[in-house]
Amino acid sequence: MKQALHKMNPSVKFLIITVCMLTLAFFFNPWTPLICWGGVILLQLCFSTIDWKKWLLFMIPFLIMSFGYFWTTIVFAEDRTGAVVWSVFQYDITRTQLDHALSLSFRVLAFAGLSLLFAFTTDPTKFILSLMQQLKLSPKIAYSILVGYQFLPVMKEEFVHIQQAHRLRGAVRDRNAIVRLWNVRRLLLPMLAGAVRKAERSAFAMEARGFTGEKRVEFYQVVRVGKNDVVMSALFIFILAAGCAITLK
Amino acid sequence: MLAKWKLKEVVLMALFSVVFGIVYLLFLHVGNIWAGFIGPIAYEWIFGIWFIVSIICMYIIRKPGAAVISETIAAAIEVLLGNAVGPRLILSGLIQGLGAEAAFAATGYKRFTLPVLMLAGVGSSIFSFAYGYLLGGFSVFHPGYVMLMLGIRIASGALIAGVGGKFVVDGLLATGSLRGYPIARAVKGDARA
Repeated sequence: MKQALHKMNPSVKFLIITVCMLTLAFFFNPWTPLICWGGVILLQLCFSTIDWKKWLLFMIPFLIMSFGYFWTTIVFAEDRTGAVVWSVFQYDITRTQLDHALSLSFRVLAFAGLSLLFAFTTDPTKFILSLMQQLKLSPKIAYSILVGYQFLPVMKEEFVHIQQAHRLRGAVRDRNAIVRLWNVRRLLLPMLAGAVRKAERSAFAMEARGFTGEKRVEFYQVVRVGKNDVVMSALFIFILAAGCAITLK
Repeated sequence: MLAKWKLKEVVLMALFSVVFGIVYLLFLHVGNIWAGFIGPIAYEWIFGIWFIVSIICMYIIRKPGAAVISETIAAAIEVLLGNAVGPRLILSGLIQGLGAEAAFAATGYKRFTLPVLMLAGVGSSIFSFAYGYLLGGFSVFHPGYVMLMLGIRIASGALIAGVGGKFVVDGLLATGSLRGYPIARAVKGDARA
């Protein structure tokens, strides 16, 4: 039970979360996203074994971002009808404005909650394999992505090496974070040149081992859709429906 | 669509998408925090960065689909790395890629001059803005504010993605590592690989 979200088929999870997000985009009241956010957290509490400390850390930027949405929506709102509920510095905030602002900031949180659920409970390799098996992603692309994914640690190392090489030759590391970000462009070219060579070599290796990229029906690692997926999907839909139902009254 | 592709072109596209997936993620975090202080308009200045891989791949590989597939893979990599915008990002990647692809398709995949690359950046801007308008709930904002956001995004798409993308690939072409890809064949006087 505790593993139900982890065991869910990645493609099914992906589709259901996308449906939830697209549906949320049509609601402009504060309650729908708030209920969905709460529901998603509850789901994770019951059916997953994620690291909550890490979860909280990832949530912080979104709290800041949702605050940004909150105040810009109030200041730049188009619809200023409704009763005044709050006055700051002789600036009147109406009911509609406040509702829209709360709705948008809760929406950011609900989206973040859904995304973190996906990111924390999905194994990347299984996700690509499932995309290929359930959603008919071309094997040529699927295996190429997996190659790219395998190269990640190598590239990370390379990134550090190039940085060190630059410093050896006297390139100074800037104190300013924005300047440092801008200086990343100097590392980009050597990184990309390396990527081109890696791509060429792995493509030859794959072809040498008989990879043609044809569609296939049999796989070494099979990712299945089962009863667990139906149950979990139903739970997601239930949360979404509960959130939507509150607007009907 | 992929039948005419060489495997090394597909792998190259995937690898570039991985590299830019990381770059995108970096900017996503920067943008997120920035957006907290100045609102959703914070993204608009740097939005072009997120379109760059589609333009780079199309400029090198020059086959239908290079823009939309690469952008989608880059988004998928961001999701795989555990970013916090989530699976929805794949959809935005697909839409941004379609915007760039539309510009290249309009020229029949024959011309890859700077204006065309910039047009692709603009295409991505417009497509992604329409999507963001719906999903971000921009309709609650004042129309003037929305137009300002769109204007900045178009400029950013044309300059960062269009001009920046060309700059990166031309630099890469000069290193000679792109021999054997369609871009090298298109350059006059280059050795046939």
